[in-house]
Amino acid sequence: MTRVVLVPGALALLREYAGLEDPVAELRAACLGAVGWLGTDVTVLADRQGERVAAYLLAATERGGAEASYLVVGNGSAMRTERAPGHLDERSSAFDEALGASLRAGRPEVDAELARELWASVDGIAQLRRSGELGPATVDYDDAPFGVQYWVMRWQA
Amino acid sequence: MTLRLGRHEFADDATLMMAIVNRTPDSFYDRGATWAEDKAFERVALVAAQGAEMVDIGGIKAAPGVEISEAEEKARVIDFVARVRESFPDLVISVDTWRASVGAAACAAGADVLNDAWGGADPELVDAAAAGGAAIVCTHTGGVTPRTRPYRIEYDDVVAAAIADTVAYAERAIAAGVPRESVVIDPAHDFGKNTFHSLEVTRRLGEMVATGYPVLVSLSNKDFVGETLDRPVGERLVGTLAATSVCALAGARIYRVHEVVETRQTVDMVWSIAGRRPPRRAIRGLQ
Repeated sequence: MTRVVLVPGALALLREYAGLEDPVAELRAACLGAVGWLGTDVTVLADRQGERVAAYLLAATERGGAEASYLVVGNGSAMRTERAPGHLDERSSAFDEALGASLRAGRPEVDAELARELWASVDGIAQLRRSGELGPATVDYDDAPFGVQYWVMRWQA
Repeated sequence: MTLRLGRHEFADDATLMMAIVNRTPDSFYDRGATWAEDKAFERVALVAAQGAEMVDIGGIKAAPGVEISEAEEKARVIDFVARVRESFPDLVISVDTWRASVGAAACAAGADVLNDAWGGADPELVDAAAAGGAAIVCTHTGGVTPRTRPYRIEYDDVVAAAIADTVAYAERAIAAGVPRESVVIDPAHDFGKNTFHSLEVTRRLGEMVATGYPVLVSLSNKDFVGETLDRPVGERLVGTLAATSVCALAGARIYRVHEVVETRQTVDMVWSIAGRRPPRRAIRGLQ
């Protein structure tokens, strides 16, 4: 059996960026819950910033079990609203909808060029695609609270 | 080291707002606005709602004026302390007095701190603090008599004098039985000092912080601000907050203030710039 978790690469999750109040408390809880479900040995699929998020989440969770485990760090576009980091791009909703649907189905499909234009972080997701079909996802989080599309999903294959 | 103020304890990186509450008819800033007991009580409720951790209740204005007897000072302060203690159990109550007898009665009524703005003029005040379980604020005044203005006072080195006198006072308090974690020092801006002295004490406040004793600063709307900017009382908030910033960067822990909200924001901002306090809520660029 293989367990796979997807979390977003939000730097607000990192301890070094903690404020007195947590702006991503709900997302953090979902991430910690999902990562805690992984086995002891975890392979991380992420870009360099995503690796830091993964390292934080792995250090912050106690895990057991010998299942092959993957932690994927990636997220949708960062242009969902006028207040989003990349401002509003009308294409972002459709992009996130399509990427989200493919993830839910366990067959990630990424338009790498459009992802780059819409500031989506998909390196880890693209790596995940190469590992074959995952089956339907359990969705723990699906929202874009700051104009950036976040998902927390789990697959067991 | 944990700061212990009577019934209350604070972490060693906490900053505290000490709101001034005058039970006087003639203090320089409020000019008797809280002379009536109910008005003073309303002010306590206001500053508590604004987030002040402490109130500093005084029955005698600092400047020269009509002599106030011990009995009159007690009448102004003691029952009021008891009333505040009962209504605001979480508030640190400081009493601004130099008289040991008033200090002892204040402790019995519920005071947590004796704020001796006059630098130990009454040598028995430390005994009152020790016996009453209160903290004490040890100020530097250059040895002047209470309620006198500075007149041609000069120092070889005002900061060295302030450190020597406040540390000596602190050691006297500890010897009298006040716990080390309940002793605070205060350079006492304007007290026994001209404006140049107060500016230098502000500029070099880090040297006082380096003594290891928590430092209280009382800057609010004082004459050194007014003279520096040529502003009358009532127009000194900006200058007060500028001085507050410098003291906060140096590490002052307690701020005796008229304006709680503005000072809290200033100190929090500087404390965060200094890397001693995280931002309240940071998401910009981190989404």
